[in-house]
Amino acid sequence: MTARTTHLDAEVRSAMLALSAAAKRDLGDPALAELVQIRASQLNRCAFCLDMHLEIARKQGVSDRRLDLVAVWEEAGDVFDERERAALALTEAVTVLTDGFVPDEVYERAAKHFEEDRLARLIALITVINSWNRLMVSRRIPPGSSRW
Amino acid sequence: MTTNAPENPVVEYAAAPVPRLDWARLAPDVFKAMVRLDAAAGRGLDPALRELVKIRASQLNRCAFCLDMHTRDALAAGESVERIVQLSAWEEARHFYTEKELAALELTEAVTVLTDGFVPDEVYERAAKHFEEAELAQLIAAITVINAWNRFGVTCRRVPGTPRPGQRP
Repeated sequence: MTARTTHLDAEVRSAMLALSAAAKRDLGDPALAELVQIRASQLNRCAFCLDMHLEIARKQGVSDRRLDLVAVWEEAGDVFDERERAALALTEAVTVLTDGFVPDEVYERAAKHFEEDRLARLIALITVINSWNRLMVSRRIPPGSSRW
Repeated sequence: MTTNAPENPVVEYAAAPVPRLDWARLAPDVFKAMVRLDAAAGRGLDPALRELVKIRASQLNRCAFCLDMHTRDALAAGESVERIVQLSAWEEARHFYTEKELAALELTEAVTVLTDGFVPDEVYERAAKHFEEAELAQLIAAITVINAWNRFGVTCRRVPGTPRPGQRP
């Protein structure tokens, strides 16, 4: 594999970290936040982000079973509750945006489980992990790398 | 030729979509952080190139609000109508753009449709030939940030104002 740049403007990095922190503020439910970030990183196939968020989720005590099954959450029965399923459906729709908008039924399902201000944070979190995925995949930053 | 048509026929347009969520009001700190990121990602990039990148990503993500905003911004900054019109067919209109712009547009597409499969080496390398390292990192950041605005715009269904035929931006 060809080496790519590890360069990232210091102010861009700092602004991204501030944006990440803002998105997670008042979202609550840190385990849900990790599941969302894991699923988006799977879809965008970002090895760096997937590795990082799996590790964080394990440290938070999210079970291996849930981490193993999050890629197939729709078929995973009650391993994920309705609120998590609504968040994961929204994550997928927002992530594969070029496949066609965000369907009304997906949005409304999420709106049923999340108050407006929480929903805004959830959308922000999905957007931010999509941004990290783009920054890491484009520059091919390997998992575990300290240079990003 | 005679016609019964009135001079200014009233055209009935379809109803505008209804916005879903006023995310910037609900999460003002997130909005502020996005504005800061946007400013950071633009530093050192040619403004005309950056608008082309923003328009192309917004086309791919089908963000009506962003498309409206950045098309107007590009026109206001002196961009030609022809270069904006041809943007969605740039591969067949290469003579409208510089080689550097073409490399940036190709990278924009690859980074935007990320779920279709990474960012191919040939696309990355073409961009790396035209942009020095720090500038390339800023280009990647700029593509990433418009993708983020597109996600907010489409998910929260932000609605552009309605123009009328013949109306100039």
